[in-house]
Amino acid sequence: MSIAEMLANLEDEAVMAEVKKQISDGVEPMKIFEACQEGMNIVGKKFQDGEYFVSDLMMSSAIFKDVSDVIKPLLGTEGEATIGKVVLGTVEGDIHDIGKDLVHAMLSAGNFEVIDVGIDAPVDSFVNALKENPDAKVLALSCLLTTCYDSLKATVEAVKEAGLTDVKIIIGGGPVDQSVVDFSGADTYGETAQDAVFIAKELM
Amino acid sequence: MIPDQLFLDRVERIKRTIAFENDRATTCYTGVATPAEHMGVKMADFVSNSDLNLDTTLAYINELNEIAPIDCLNIGAGGNKINVILTMIWLSKVKMPGRELPENSLWQIEEKKVLKDEDYDLAIEQGYDALVQKILPQVLDMGELQEFMEYAQKNGQKNAEKVIANIYPSVNSNNASPPFEILCGARSMSQFFMDCYKIPDKVKAAQDAIFPGVLENMVATTRQTNGMGSWVGGWRGASALVSPKIWDELVWPYMYKMGMTLLENGITPTFHLDQNWDRDIERFLELPEKKFILNTDSMTDLRRARKLLGEHAAFMGDVPPQLLATGTPQQVTDYVNRLLDDIGTKGVFITAGCDAPGNAKFENMAAMFKAAYEYN
Ligand code: B12
Repeated sequence: MSIAEMLANLEDEAVMAEVKKQISDGVEPMKIFEACQEGMNIVGKKFQDGEYFVSDLMMSSAIFKDVSDVIKPLLGTEGEATIGKVVLGTVEGDIHDIGKDLVHAMLSAGNFEVIDVGIDAPVDSFVNALKENPDAKVLALSCLLTTCYDSLKATVEAVKEAGLTDVKIIIGGGPVDQSVVDFSGADTYGETAQDAVFIAKELM
Repeated sequence: MIPDQLFLDRVERIKRTIAFENDRATTCYTGVATPAEHMGVKMADFVSNSDLNLDTTLAYINELNEIAPIDCLNIGAGGNKINVILTMIWLSKVKMPGRELPENSLWQIEEKKVLKDEDYDLAIEQGYDALVQKILPQVLDMGELQEFMEYAQKNGQKNAEKVIANIYPSVNSNNASPPFEILCGARSMSQFFMDCYKIPDKVKAAQDAIFPGVLENMVATTRQTNGMGSWVGGWRGASALVSPKIWDELVWPYMYKMGMTLLENGITPTFHLDQNWDRDIERFLELPEKKFILNTDSMTDLRRARKLLGEHAAFMGDVPPQLLATGTPQQVTDYVNRLLDDIGTKGVFITAGCDAPGNAKFENMAAMFKAAYEYN
């Protein structure tokens, strides 16, 4: 079975053993990493098809993170060549992090570098992260509480006021739909963590 | 005290609704945080002063009752400290407005990994009480718990009579949490879900070991509060959240047994189901028919559930919290009408999905009950 298949089957120990074996066999680290990304894509598809559930996504993210920790240091400069940077966080007043963390994992698997400002993140923390990373052109906001729509809106406004007008803003999380896009002034929304990757790629 | 005839009629109505013998949709109030803003009470005072909490909640429900009769309450009318109750369900710390949070914010459950690796062994070797004794002091001020118990001792009866005097029977008086939910809250959802993949046998052994204590506690608390029913909570165990294997082995067997145990003790189970339970909804056919309630939050497809379950289970739901917060009365009315068009009125309690949020608009709450009452 390939690394991608093992990861897609959530076989954590087998994946790690195979990754370590291939590293010591001298397989190119980038090849191994791509196989893991491929595995995450399969997981994302299974989730979208209703074959996998949230816990499966969480398990796959944990496996991906563990193997990334092993492979990334071996990638050298090649590993730094991501397709882009995304600033991500859950808006102020909201502490739900499961969905945000899945978005983080999927974006990393999709070869994005993610600047994660965490949960209950004040408006300024997003603005500052964007200023510190002028090459980050996408801001992804997670929000699960209707009571935090105002925080979403305030964050979008602050980003615009800070003159960061070329940053595209994607929102997502449980109750978020087009009406929340309209309300907050964000650019668009995504329904799943996988959507975050598709949309970020489009916006790049 | 001798309850008013209307109170007794309303109790009958609850029973008839569960048996699919009700003449119209039954209206049922939930909204733990909803009254504060409309009644002009600061959230910090609302949650810290139990007398104020009960009086404000009753005044709010009375205002709704002027517009359309409120036949019953899902789970009481407050009069308790919400943080103590929530901590008891999930073994998580709860941050409170006016204490750890600004005065008008909502309380926040803070999920942290409080349950250590070795606490699984403690649970397995010594059971429920030992686990609770170890975890509880880490997530709740024991002085506050003491106060909570003393208040209940002193005012429990008086408060219950106050609710009866306002003519609102409650479908449930207790909120029981299955082992999966208890461990999940104490371990944090991310960590616990990983445990379910990596050390499933240990998780199962811990759940089995604490289960007798959970069952005993569930029945005792419902009895102490003179309730007709008890919630069996389904939050993180939702079908949408966990894989079939986890659900089949660690979620359902315990929820089923809790339901059966309540029934054996003459108590009606209300399965409080947040998130989407579509995948497994047919499993509720395993419980005896017309004896229990499924209390869903709008994520579970009730139309499909009605087709698959027929008249097996009464439904309680499911006006979406976000609609109550951001929608218009017309949208709420349309939602209720469409729902009743599709699932009928027999065996149906109309209420907010999960719990009406703190920012639900009064006119939307009123529209929900009015639509349910007037539907025919
Ligand atoms: C687990 C949970 C909690 C846990 C959170 C644990 C944690 N570490 O995150 C705890 C117990 C702490 C919690 C607390 C509260 N919760 Co809560 N919680 C839930 C629950 C059961 C599941 C949420 C979840 O993790 N879902 C799984 C994830 C994977 O889904 P997701 O976040 O939507 O993410 C997916 C997509 O939306 C997408 N996505 C997410 N973000 C983004 C961002 C972008 C850019 C994109 C493209 C995509 C994307 O990717 C994910 C995978 O595809 C829901 C129930 C429900 N119906 O969903 C309630 C729920 C979200 N909670 C709710 C409430 C009210 C609360 C509390 C206010 C309760 C209280 N009074 O304490 C507090 C809020 C505290 C706070 N200030 O935030 C309500 C919200 C109602 C509303 N819409 O306003 C819900 C809906 C329950 C309900 N029916 O009432 N909660």
